[in-house]
Amino acid sequence: MDYAISILVNGIVQGSIYALMALGYSVIVGITGLVTFTHGEVMMMGAFASFYVFELFGSNILIGAIGSFIVCGILGIIIYKVCYERFLDAPRHIALICTIGASMIIKNMAQIVFGPNQKPMFGIFENQLIKIGPVQLSVLQLVILAIVVILALGLSLFFSKSKYGISMRAVSQDKTAASLMGLNVNANALLGNVIGCGLAGIAGMLISVYYQAFQATMGGPLGMKAFSASVLGGLTDSRFAALGGLFLGLIENFGIAVSSASFRDIFAFIFLILILIFKPQGFSKKGGIKL
Amino acid sequence: MSQLLVANNVSKHFGGLKAVDNVDMIINEGDIFGIIGPNGAGKTTFFNICSGVYKPTTGEITFDGHSLVGQKPEQIARLGMARTFQNIRLFKYMSVLENVFIGFQTKTRTGLADAILHTAAYKSDEQLIREEGLKVLDSLGLLPFKDTKAGNLSYGMQRKVEIARALALGPKLLLLDEPAAGMNQLEKQELMHFVIDLNKRGYTIALIEHDMRFVMNSCNRILVLNFGQKICEGTPEEVREDKGVNEAYFGKGLLVGRKGAAA
Amino acid sequence: MTQTLKAWFSDLPKAVRILIFGLGAVIILLIPRFLTSSYIMGIICRILLYITLAGSLNVINGYTGQFSIGHAGFFAVGCYTTAILSSNYAWDFWFTLPIAGILTAIIGLLVALPTFRMTGIYLSIVTLGFSEIIRLIALNWTGLTGGPLGIKGIPAPQFLGMNIRRAGDYYYIFLLFAVLFLLVTNRVLKSRIGRAWISIREDQQAAQSLGVELVKYKAMNFAYGAFWAGLAGAIYAPYINYVDSNTFTLDEGFNILSMAIIGGMGTLGGPVLGSFVVNILNELLRPVSAYRLVVYGLLIVVMMWIRPQGIIGASDSMLADDRTGADLLERLGLKKRRTA
Repeated sequence: MDYAISILVNGIVQGSIYALMALGYSVIVGITGLVTFTHGEVMMMGAFASFYVFELFGSNILIGAIGSFIVCGILGIIIYKVCYERFLDAPRHIALICTIGASMIIKNMAQIVFGPNQKPMFGIFENQLIKIGPVQLSVLQLVILAIVVILALGLSLFFSKSKYGISMRAVSQDKTAASLMGLNVNANALLGNVIGCGLAGIAGMLISVYYQAFQATMGGPLGMKAFSASVLGGLTDSRFAALGGLFLGLIENFGIAVSSASFRDIFAFIFLILILIFKPQGFSKKGGIKL
Repeated sequence: MSQLLVANNVSKHFGGLKAVDNVDMIINEGDIFGIIGPNGAGKTTFFNICSGVYKPTTGEITFDGHSLVGQKPEQIARLGMARTFQNIRLFKYMSVLENVFIGFQTKTRTGLADAILHTAAYKSDEQLIREEGLKVLDSLGLLPFKDTKAGNLSYGMQRKVEIARALALGPKLLLLDEPAAGMNQLEKQELMHFVIDLNKRGYTIALIEHDMRFVMNSCNRILVLNFGQKICEGTPEEVREDKGVNEAYFGKGLLVGRKGAAA
Repeated sequence: MTQTLKAWFSDLPKAVRILIFGLGAVIILLIPRFLTSSYIMGIICRILLYITLAGSLNVINGYTGQFSIGHAGFFAVGCYTTAILSSNYAWDFWFTLPIAGILTAIIGLLVALPTFRMTGIYLSIVTLGFSEIIRLIALNWTGLTGGPLGIKGIPAPQFLGMNIRRAGDYYYIFLLFAVLFLLVTNRVLKSRIGRAWISIREDQQAAQSLGVELVKYKAMNFAYGAFWAGLAGAIYAPYINYVDSNTFTLDEGFNILSMAIIGGMGTLGGPVLGSFVVNILNELLRPVSAYRLVVYGLLIVVMMWIRPQGIIGASDSMLADDRTGADLLERLGLKKRRTA
């Protein structure tokens, strides 16, 4: 019983990080209307960024989060300029291929600059356990949950209340109409990409802090998981994408419990295939991404 | 005359919007059937339901004795319904002849092994589509353009190629979605005669058109839609006399004005 | 340029054309006699192998507009099939070949089937995931695949009683299959099937309205591409003599993909050229091999900026970014509406 609860807790915590990854992913896809393959590499860069921030400014998770958000936000601008801006109105596969090229560049440059091996992450919190009834949580897990919940709520507020958020939503729904209304589509798409990448950066930091390790090749499986989770929201609906992330975390942890940790990345794939078979359009109101 | 396409209480709702609302319709073999109505009346949506692009929210359509509900567009094409698109969907980087070749999909049977080994089946298929394809192009006067890339043709020509491609299926019913859109009066006239000619050659045709003169002079039956609902179905004369149609088209005020002027 | 070259060639008298062909064939067949360096023969073998690999990927990506990026996974399935059958069960190489191809095609189909009704992007992700999963399975299923140690000492194929061992001998096998692939694919593309594939790439909805069975043809196309990737893997197994899961990383998939993209998708010649370019580049970059994939990534991005249809792709094709025709494209719904 305790074992099951601890798997549940681990699943939820890990799922919340996946939820953050998927949130960023669906924001990017929703606003640019184009799919990205760089998301995993951005998360990897987020992990590295936080590592150096911790090294320079001390092990404060908030400063780390801000640091990785800024670094990955800037990376998001570069990715946008290279892969999207020119191709918003071009055949879709061109931007797609561009992001594949960009992800190859980022990943392999990271391997060259930072080395290919796994590195240990700073321990941010003491390994202290908190007991709430039958549930045991480490401080780190609690902090991760808090950060993800705050970010998700903040994002939802941003999209529903702020001027920028509302105009971004308009752009993601209909670019032509939005531009006729005088909205700057390009600027909004750029902003969306920056936010999405920034969130990915924070997710990358959280996952490396959670595992106490990170490496240059970690992006591939993470990008795959972000995608799989967002499929539940038809790739564009961020709320269901976040839910998908949570599910994925739970499935993964229960899956590992019955098989082996070396199969960790297989569960995301199975999750993806199952959704595609049974609910291919996801639960998005808009019926998912259009052709 | 037998009933070819029968629509029963067909509706299509997009969220709260009733794009097509409880429409009944019968197209008989040999008809030139016109569907008219103001912009946004649900005409193209209705076509898309008939050809399987959309699933109807409610209702049933039978075509030549087969129920079309749940059928995919390609299955419906195989049953003998061909269509053109309002916004012309040619394979614009293929030549005109190649476009027509695709139209022979349902009539040919070449499998992977046939194609690799160039069997008799492959050869007879290739010969068939070449001969028949050229014939179709010839009948539309497109022969001189057979090797031109479809995207490089004029708008009117592209419409014709799309019709040629649809004819390659040897359809029992041909759906034309605004075939005269973007044409000048002369081209429209020509197209109208062409449609009537096709009909005489045995094709049953259903068409959506805005140009009233076109519809009134070519169609033998007309369905009028407004806000997704059927207002009237009948011969051109009946439609012309129908009050609802006049209201939908010209508005109440205008209608009164016209009456006033006539008085 | 390729057009004028083609026209010039077909204008030559028939005898001259046959002579040129014959001469070319003789030269190609005699290459191993002149080039005895096993280093250079090795490179040529790789080029020929990747013609089949990149070419089969191009059949999927270039002709139906689906976008597979996990081709390394299919390569791996074929490779492991032959390796396992011939070293664990002592099967003859030539019998493992069709098994490898067909098995790869079936597995490919099973994986891709849920995506055929969806936007191409889903297929991309599923194939990407599949490629990683196959690698993970190969790494962890020690009983079957040797796990991290891989499978060593894969028996050499025999031909007319001779053991095929040297790169100079494998040259003929790779050549045979590359040529076979190109000839067979050319025939398929110029048939009803190939036309159906291309029509799906050009306009899925129009193709359906003409009776082109979307799922059937996408599935057929995908299985066809996977089949050849499996065959290529099957030949590669005894050639390399030793397979392990590290050969089939995502980077390998990107390597194959970059050949198809740089050469020009949607043309038979594109991946051939791409294989030459990338493999030769591979050797030139050997001193800085860590930068290899960075360079390919850059090449891909640059290609998309200046020539999205690839080196020999036609500028008036679906795969080119034909901005002058943007208005027409929008009207045809072939292209997203202009946004800015």
